[in-house]
Order: sequence, then C-alpha cells, then structure tokens
Amino acid sequence: MTELQMKAIDRILEGFPEVKGNLIALLHAIQALEGYLPEESLRYFSAKTGVPLSQIYAVATFYHFFSLTPKGRHQVCVCLGTACHVKGSTRLLGEIEKRLGIQEGETTADMRYTLSTVRCVGNCSCAPVLLTDKETHGNVASKQVADILNRYE
Amino acid sequence: MNRKSPGSVTAKVCMGLGGVSAGGQEVLQAFMDQFARKGLTGEVNKRCHGQKVGCMGFCAKDVLVDIIIDDQKTAYQFVKPDMVERIVDQHILGGIPVAEWLAGPEYDQFHEKQEKVVLKHCGQIDPEDIDAYLGVDGYRSAGKALTSMTSEQVIQEIKSSGLRGRGGAGFSTGIKWDLCRKAPGEQKYVICNADEGDPGAFMDRAVIEGDPHAVIEGMIIGGYAMGASEGIVYIRAEYPLAIERLKLALGQARERRFLGKGLFGTAFDFDIRVKLGAGAFVCGEETALIASLEDQIGEPRPRPPFPAVSGLWGKPTNINNVETWATVPKIIQRGASWFSSIGTEKSRGTKIFSLVGKIRNTGLVEVPLGIPLREIIYDIGGGIPNGKRFKAVQTGGPSGGCISAEHIDVPVDYENLMALGSIVGSGGMVVLDEDNCMVDVAKFFVSFCKDESCGKCTPCREGTREMARLLDEISQGKGTLAHLSLLEELCLVVKDASLCGLGKSAPNPVLSTLKYFREEYEAHVLDKYCPAQVCKPLSAAPCQRGCPAGIDIPSYVALIGEGRYTEALDLIREDNPLPSVCGYVCPAPCETACRRRDVDKPLSIRALKRFVADFAREQGEHVPEANLFRPQKVAIVGSGPAGLSAAYYLALDGYPVTVFEALPVLGGMLRVGIPDYRLPPEVLDFDIEAIAKLGVQFKTRTAIGGALNLDTLKAQGFQAFLLGTGAHQEVPLGISGEERPGVYSGIEFLRRVSMGEKVKLGARIAVVGGGNVAMDAARTALRLGSQVTILYRRTAAEMSAYHEEIVQALDEGVEIRYLTQPVEIVGNEQGVTGVVCLAMELGEPDASGRKRPVPIPGSETVLPVDGVIKAIGQVPQPLSLGLDGQALQFSKRGLVETHPVHLSTNLPGVFAAGDNVSGPATAVEAIGIGRRAAQSIHSYLQGEPFATRVKMPTARRRIDPLKVSDEEMGKLVRPKMPEEEVAKRIQNFFLVELGLSAEASRNEAKRCLRCDLAD
Repeated sequence: MTELQMKAIDRILEGFPEVKGNLIALLHAIQALEGYLPEESLRYFSAKTGVPLSQIYAVATFYHFFSLTPKGRHQVCVCLGTACHVKGSTRLLGEIEKRLGIQEGETTADMRYTLSTVRCVGNCSCAPVLLTDKETHGNVASKQVADILNRYE
Repeated sequence: MNRKSPGSVTAKVCMGLGGVSAGGQEVLQAFMDQFARKGLTGEVNKRCHGQKVGCMGFCAKDVLVDIIIDDQKTAYQFVKPDMVERIVDQHILGGIPVAEWLAGPEYDQFHEKQEKVVLKHCGQIDPEDIDAYLGVDGYRSAGKALTSMTSEQVIQEIKSSGLRGRGGAGFSTGIKWDLCRKAPGEQKYVICNADEGDPGAFMDRAVIEGDPHAVIEGMIIGGYAMGASEGIVYIRAEYPLAIERLKLALGQARERRFLGKGLFGTAFDFDIRVKLGAGAFVCGEETALIASLEDQIGEPRPRPPFPAVSGLWGKPTNINNVETWATVPKIIQRGASWFSSIGTEKSRGTKIFSLVGKIRNTGLVEVPLGIPLREIIYDIGGGIPNGKRFKAVQTGGPSGGCISAEHIDVPVDYENLMALGSIVGSGGMVVLDEDNCMVDVAKFFVSFCKDESCGKCTPCREGTREMARLLDEISQGKGTLAHLSLLEELCLVVKDASLCGLGKSAPNPVLSTLKYFREEYEAHVLDKYCPAQVCKPLSAAPCQRGCPAGIDIPSYVALIGEGRYTEALDLIREDNPLPSVCGYVCPAPCETACRRRDVDKPLSIRALKRFVADFAREQGEHVPEANLFRPQKVAIVGSGPAGLSAAYYLALDGYPVTVFEALPVLGGMLRVGIPDYRLPPEVLDFDIEAIAKLGVQFKTRTAIGGALNLDTLKAQGFQAFLLGTGAHQEVPLGISGEERPGVYSGIEFLRRVSMGEKVKLGARIAVVGGGNVAMDAARTALRLGSQVTILYRRTAAEMSAYHEEIVQALDEGVEIRYLTQPVEIVGNEQGVTGVVCLAMELGEPDASGRKRPVPIPGSETVLPVDGVIKAIGQVPQPLSLGLDGQALQFSKRGLVETHPVHLSTNLPGVFAAGDNVSGPATAVEAIGIGRRAAQSIHSYLQGEPFATRVKMPTARRRIDPLKVSDEEMGKLVRPKMPEEEVAKRIQNFFLVELGLSAEASRNEAKRCLRCDLAD
C-alpha cells in the first residue's frame, strides 16, 4: 500500500466527525477511490480507527454495493427490477453477456467493462433499463446494446 | 415581423429520472440556448425561462415539456432537443402550438381521475430551488405546527386524519408517533426510510427528486411532535439524483434557518443528516435499517421492543417512509378532516402508485384510496398495449401478490387488497399480460427474496431457497403435483415462522399465483408446457406450435443448414412419420405462423422438409428400430395418414401392428385423393416402406365390418383397435339433375383415376366447389383432355384450396367463375348438356366467419357443359361396426363419437382418429391426431390412465444457430419453387413442383430467425 493511498484514507477520515454511525459512508468513500475495497486499505482503515476487521468484512460483504475485487473502467449494470423483468431484462442481460463474453459480476479481461445487475433503480416507467457508469438508458432494445457499449472505451 | 410578443413564458422540462434518461437535460439546454439566441431572456424579468421540474408522472411520454404562457399551459410529449427551435418560433413567438407534437388525448385521460396531494408540486416546481417551494406555501405548515400547535395537537391532527404508513405495513402514523412521543428518553430520532427497495415502485424517488422540501418539512413537524432533535434520511445508494437533490435541499433549508437551532423563533432545534444505504433490500425493514445505521450488517431483530421505545442506539425512534413524511405538511396545512374526507373508511387519503409493466400509460399516479382497480388500469393507464389480454396486476412487490383479471373491479385500499392475498405495500403496480408466465413471476420474486434474505433466521434463509428450487424445477419441466403441494406447505411455514416482514411476506407472490393461476402451474407440471411460452424448456417456436404434428422445425431447419440431412429427417420422424408426404403436400400452417413473415416472407419450411426426404430417398436411408417387444396386438382399420401415423408410433413402441385396408392400395386419401402430379406414388411408398420396415403388417383389400369385424379380430387376439377410415363420401349438391349420367363425385373421380381406371369425361367439364378436392379434380380433368370451368359461389378470398394450387390451376388453363352458384344440372338421356347458374353477391359473415353469398334474383344463365364434377365437401362413409354386441356411436354429423383428448370411442379398446372424427382435414392434422391415438392405445394396453389434456409441443433439441454474416443475411430471399413448364405438365401426371437444390435449401435454412433460441 502506497503512502498516497494511506493519505487518501486519512483525508476521508478527516471529513467525518466520528467513525461511529458512519461505517457505511466511509466504505462508500474508500470504494470511490479505486472502484473497489482493496484488502490493504481495509486493514489500514481498521488499524487506524479501531473498528474490528471482522466487522468491516461483514459489512463489506453483506451489502451489494461493495466489492472486494477490482472493477473495470466502465460499469455496465442491468436493472432486474420487476418492471424490467416483465419487459424482458433477462434477454437484455443475455445479450450483453454474449457481447462481452462475461457473466454477471465479472469483468472483461481488458478491464474495460464490469457487468453487474441491480434490483430496481426506480426508472420502471422506462423498463427495461440499462445503466452505464452514470448514464441511465430507458426502453433499451437488445439491438441497441452494441451501440451503447461502444461509447465506452 | 408580425410576431406577437409573449408575456411571461416558462418551459417546464420534466427532469425526474424518467425525463433525464430520455434526454431532459439536453432538451432544457436547448430551450435555454434558444431563448438566449433569440434574445428572449434579456428582457425585463427574464420573461422567457426554462425550468427543470421533477417527475411529471407520465413517464411513458418523456421528455414532457409544459409551455406556460401567461398561466396558459400547453403540454408537449416526446420532446427532443431538435424540436425545441420550432416550438419556440411557432408557439412561443408565433402563438400557434405545434399541433403534431402536443400531448395526445391520453395525456388528459392519464390525469383526469387522479387526485394529486403529495405529488401536487412534483413536476410543477424546480426541486433545486427553495424559493420555488416557498412560492407554493412551503414551510408554512411547519411554521404553523411549531408556533401555534402543541405537540399533542399535532399528533391528534395526524391521528384523526387517518393517515396510515405508506411504506407497506399500513400502521396508523398518529398512533406510532404517539408511542414515540410518550417513550421516556431525552434523545429521540425521527428517520425517513428512503430505502425504497420494492422493485417496481419509485414514488419515493420521484418525491425526493421532485419535491424534496416537502419531506424535510414533514420531518420537522414530526420531530417537533415527538420531541426529536435529530432526523436521518436513510436513502438508497441506487438513487444518486435523489441524494443530490436532497442534500442540496437540506443545505438550502439550513441557510434559510428551517433547520438548525431555534426554528421559527421557538426553542425547537432540529437538523437532518443523510445516510446512504448500500444495496440491501432487507434494510427497508425498520430494525434492519437501524442495524445498518449502527454500522452493522442489516439483520433485523425481534420486536418488541419496538423502535418507538428502543431504536437507534437504544433511543426512541420513529421511522416513516418518504411518501408518509411528504403527506404530513398537507394534513397540517389543510386539516385532518379534509384529508380524511378522501378515500374509504379505513383507508383515508390518496396513495401514489407506480403503474408499470404491460400498460400503455406507464408512470406515477396518485389516486384516492378505494378507486376501482379497473379505473387505474383502463382509464388512467389506458389499458394493455399491442392488443394483448390483461392477465393480472402485481401489487406490493416481493411482499405482495398478483390480482387476477376477474378482480379488476376491486376497490383499491388496504383491506381489499389484503383480502385478495396481496397488499398495497409501497404502491408498486406491475401490470402483466398474456405473455407473462405466472410461475416465472413467482420465481422472480422468490429468487429476489432468496437473494435478499439476510440469513439470520432459518425459515426465511432455507425456506426461500427451497421455494426457489421448487419453482425452478417447475419452470424447467421437472415439476410434479407434489411440487405444488410441497410449495404450498413450505409457504405457510415460512410465512408463520420467519423473523421479519421479508420472510413473512416472501410467500405471498407464490400463494397468490397458486390461488388464482393454479391451472397455469398445472400446465407446467402435468403437460410440461408453459402457456405464456416464457419458461424455455416448456416452450416452442411459433412454427412448432403452428404444426398440428408439433415438429421441432427450427432444429431440423438448422440441421439442414449444417448439411446434417439424415439427422434432420430423424428429428422430423420423432413427430411425423410421413416426412415425404408432408414435404410434398402439407398446407404448411408452420409457414403461416413463421415470424420471418414480419420481416419479408416466411421460411419455405415445406420445401426444406421435402428436400431432406428426397435426399434420403435417393441415398437410401436407415429407419429407426423398435428396441423392445410387447405382446399386445393392435389392429388399425384404414391406411390413411392417421392410421399410418398411429401404426408407426405403436410399432416403434414395440407393439405388433396390423393395418387393414379395404382398397387394393395403401395410403387412403393420400393415395386416391391426391393426384400423382402433386404426390407421386413413389414418394408415398417411401414413407410407407419405412413404416413397414418397423414390422407393421399391411392387409389390403380387407374391409372390416362384414364377416371380418371387430369381434372376429378380437377373437384373433387383437386387443386394441384404431378406426382411421377417413371421409370418402361426397356431399350431394342438393339440386335437380344431380343423378344424371355425366355427373361425378369429385372424390370418387379422383379415386378411379388414381387406381388406373380409364375415366371418360366429356369435352367441357364444370367442377363445383372451391376446396382442394375441387382443384385436384379440375386439374386432373384438364390432364384427361377436358376444358374445365370451376364454379364457386364465393370469391377468391374465401376459397379454401391452397393458394399455390389455385395459381397452378389458373396457369394450366382452368377457368374459375367466382360468385357463381349452380342451381340445376340440365341434360338429355345421353347425359349433361349444361348447368344453370345464379350470380351471387356477398352478404353478412356466416358462422364460419366467411361472408355469406346471396343470390342476385333474375341472374340465371346456362353454362353449356358435357359433364359435372361435384366437390363441395366430404363426409365419412357409413360404418356398421360394433364390439361385444354394442354398436359404435356416431354424432349427428356422421362422425365417430370420441373423447376429445384421448380419442376413445364408446367401445372399450376401440379408438378413432382422422377425417372420420374431425371431418375432412389435412394430412398433417391426421398425423398429429393419429399419434395421439397411439399414445392413448399404449395407455389403454398398459392399464395406465389416459392423458387428461392434449400435450403441447416443446423443443426437442437445442441446435446452435448457423453462422451467417449480416451482409449475407441481407441478401437472402425466399426461393421460388421451380415448376415444370405448363405445356409439358398438362399432358401427363408428372410432378409439377420440382424441389429445391441442396444449395438453395442450405441457404434457405439460414433465413430462420431461430425463435426457439430467443429468450
């Protein structure tokens, strides 16, 4: 773990008045640094704050948002909410899996894309919904997939 | 320029998530740019300005834009940035709205029955501007509560309003507040549960994104009423836009001193913090939410103690959801009695529903509780799109259930939905149509709950997993009736024994679908068939469903494309033992069903089948062998397609089968009804030989019914019988002169020609009828040297003969007179001299759906002819059969009475199939029904119960799609079937259609869209 990485975590901690009641928010902030929660970062965080590593690990693995493995440069996420499901999101997911050659939860070998799913983003009127990084695409047809993916290098 | 100068103009652009994802930001920017470029913003008071507003509700039409000129509102739908300039020029400057882009009638329809209380300002004001909120009386309720009401009065007001929690459980908000207020403790918390986890519900997101200050104001009032100085909004990390707008609103509220110390000049201090969730559905449960706020994994704990007594960090805590909090200021503002005047006795006020799924007008709707479901679905929602049938509506997400179509008139409130096995829940309403499978929907929710179960209590953790496994097996075709009963039992245990609401309600989607859609579950487990065609292993492509024999067409087509011809033929034989016959003469209902029809032209499925059959005939082929022997002998009467099909499958199953045929030749109508130029004898022989090779015995010139009858066959050791005697008797015309010499029955004429008899026709022949027999008779007469006129009483559109046949007949020189009804056959002692005909016109549709021909009075003409062939339909010839002293029963129409599913007759062990059961039908229908009869005979002989329903076909193989480049795909067209030249073919009975080449066939296979593989 580099000095720089430690400093980044120190800076995050400075932004919070106390650790108590803020563990999830802190993990969100640490994950924002590198897109995932590296083991060394969590160890450092635990040593620095006194929060047991077991508790950090429990929280980091319980909540879907946290990842202990590195993510690709771009996040591709298919909504699998009810409205999306009845409007064919499984087909959409299948199409993306086929195009990228990876399964849900995996990252392409070139680290370009990570494919994940989400339980409803609340854009149900526009189902099925696909998220790419911070973009939300509604009413996505399978044939649009290639075009959308190609926008992300 | 003569442009009217606009007054104050606002362009409100919907920028809820729906609007944003449809390009709302770009549209707003386009308005800003246009206003700036045209100098419209520089004038006094920024006269024209663009404004972002929160969700307008009607997301189906996003991006929605309201143009407000001097308080006059005009709504536009589906606005794109490049449309903005014209709207500005023509409407704002020119005063003429752009008619073709205006919101349509459904926009008014969508809003008419709504009553917007909580959503009143959502989509109307800029959610990022506190002044916009203040401009609609914002924070006045908080001021009123804090400065003129005691905390008891506030709580009393909420209690008497009848407000119930909008997050799911529907507990009285006032009572909950009172508990918390009375709980001892200095430090108390109020929490806004914005962990809107129910998939399909998004009103909380929309409220925060569109009117965040309303939530803040509600919490201030709640904090004051309960004596809490700290508020927390626990919000889903999946809602970044809502988080952003909420944080912005909190900052603005602090700046204006609506949050902080000494609010409204009182001693009351209150502030709100935002806490992010991290993607755990269970955290919507209040004790799990509290655990999450305490840095723990989101596991619930048993209650009591309730959070009102011991909540966050052990302090009294009150949790309400977003919609509830946003309702509070409205109640304080307008009074409890106003609120309680809306809705029903136990369900007061309005509720927001997210209307999504298979519904035309998707979006957020706010309605008075108690509104009939029908009004939500049809009046507000505009019904089901694409002409589909409404099947059910799923309410309450994973904790709710499905309400079936028969309950469409239920008043929507807490009690009524509960009684139907569902809940109002947070207000998700996912509409399902006929294309949705209820097993799949149940599986979706159970799998959701399985994944989201925190794992703390066993009933939920293990129970949902087992439920998911059972449902998965059912959807894979591995289910039995025992699965259903086990599933039900398990549901009740999980419901009773789980620790928190997640587990307690997880069985609801299963129980409600089992209750209202049991038949659909039974189709999955008993028939191994998914009626909605969603569960893939239990589905079939449209062509396969269209085929009466249920052949796995996409798979054999793909095999042909790969050059695996023999395998393709083997696959066809699994469902149809007469591949050659069908390759030549099938009417190909599969092609009618083919989805490629929507792209260009349907696949040439029949030609492909013929190609593999021809290939096998030329190469010499192998035939499957029976690999077991059974002792029970079966007699089949009649060697038509039904009998042959049954014989094949019974023999394959190990039964010794003997087919008795009255004629000297085999094949029934295939042999003596279809002329050789369509089905050459050697082609039919090829299929029959394959059946003979399986060990089937054929006895020709052996009629059953006289000395040799069912009793004597029984005495010879036959234990089961199939009657496939067909329909070989011509229906009389019922006109005078019908008995004259020179008047022939079409079917008898064809039979005599086919058997090699020299039939002498006159020079000019009239054929009466418009079906295939008429066409075959006409073309046969033509080949015998006659000049032929077909008389048909309707028009070409109503003709039941195959299109190709009609075209070929016309090509060959047959004349067809439509709307012509013969009324008398005239002649002398030698024979026929003419037909008296009436001209017809089409009237109203008759029972068959075809327009009824009506005679035109006084239109009689005489067509001079030397002979008439009548071919208006066939019926079964009378049979005199019985067994053990009991006679076979017939219907009034002369058809053998059989059970519609298992085809048994009134005589034990005697079954019937084919035209004598159905009336004249196609070969492929007879093949399908013959196979069903074979299965029933097998059940009968093995002492097993008969099938209770007709099994639907499902895919037999999973063949990879052919590799076709997009470029090549673009070039492929349906091949034209090569035909023998007309001049050559009308002299003889040689084949007309010549068949596709191997190359053409392989190319044609590439056009298949592979609907069987589509998920």
